[in-house]
Amino acid sequence: MRYALIGLVCLLPAFAQDIKFPASLEKLAAKADEVVDVTLDSSMLQLASRFLSDKEPDEAHAKRLVSGLKGIYVRSFQFENAGEYSPADIEAIRSQLTGPTWARVASVRSRKAGDNAEVYIKTEGGQITGLTVIASEPKELTIVNIVGNIRPEDLRDLGGRFGLPKMDGVNAASKAEKKDE
Amino acid sequence: MDDLERQLQQALARQEAPPWFEEKVLRAVARQPERRSTSWFGSAYPIRWATAALATLLLSGGIAWQHERQERIAGEAAKAQLQLALRITSSQLHKIEKRIESIEQD
Repeated sequence: MRYALIGLVCLLPAFAQDIKFPASLEKLAAKADEVVDVTLDSSMLQLASRFLSDKEPDEAHAKRLVSGLKGIYVRSFQFENAGEYSPADIEAIRSQLTGPTWARVASVRSRKAGDNAEVYIKTEGGQITGLTVIASEPKELTIVNIVGNIRPEDLRDLGGRFGLPKMDGVNAASKAEKKDE
Repeated sequence: MDDLERQLQQALARQEAPPWFEEKVLRAVARQPERRSTSWFGSAYPIRWATAALATLLLSGGIAWQHERQERIAGEAAKAQLQLALRITSSQLHKIEKRIESIEQD
């Protein structure tokens, strides 16, 4: 019983994360030239929030955004050569973003350049409770997973502060796919 | 027995203590603790207590300072991680928006 409880406590952070980064993705770090690995769970976000200033506009906005979040997880890999990651690595993430709560709100594909980008929004009870971005280029792969309540106005506000785009479609969680050659 | 031996014998001979000696010694012993308690400030106790209190204060202050320092380091690191994550997110979303805009213009 005690071991079951300990196991449950250990697994709690994993449940807080909306999507699970597969082991194959974590192994890409060994091949990559540059790796960004950000794992901020609820307690780390709270800690970071305490050090964000209310006087600095950028930090104040970040603080407001973080107040409703449960976690931010980022994996970004930059490779020297193309083809270091496989489509299966991305599919392992994409397959977790199915179901009635997830909706792909934007998808951009460039066959020429080999770039792909997708934005997924999770909505529960009419509220955005998750955001996932999958961006892949021949020599770069970035996955962002934000868990928690995200107010549309926060996204819009941050658009002017951190360069976040004004995603009007996000509010309605509408699906807008764009594809080019 | 010569003169020296006789003198030694006399000098080392057992002699009974005078009757007032015992009483004097007992009185002196009885007075001892009384004198100790009244002269607390004059003894080494205050210095010892002050040293112990100062050491405790310094120790607890040091622990608190170290804890605060560690928390600040962890907090600043978490803040930097958060800002990095937000920058990457915004940069990726910005790229997607730009590309959607350029496709719409075409």
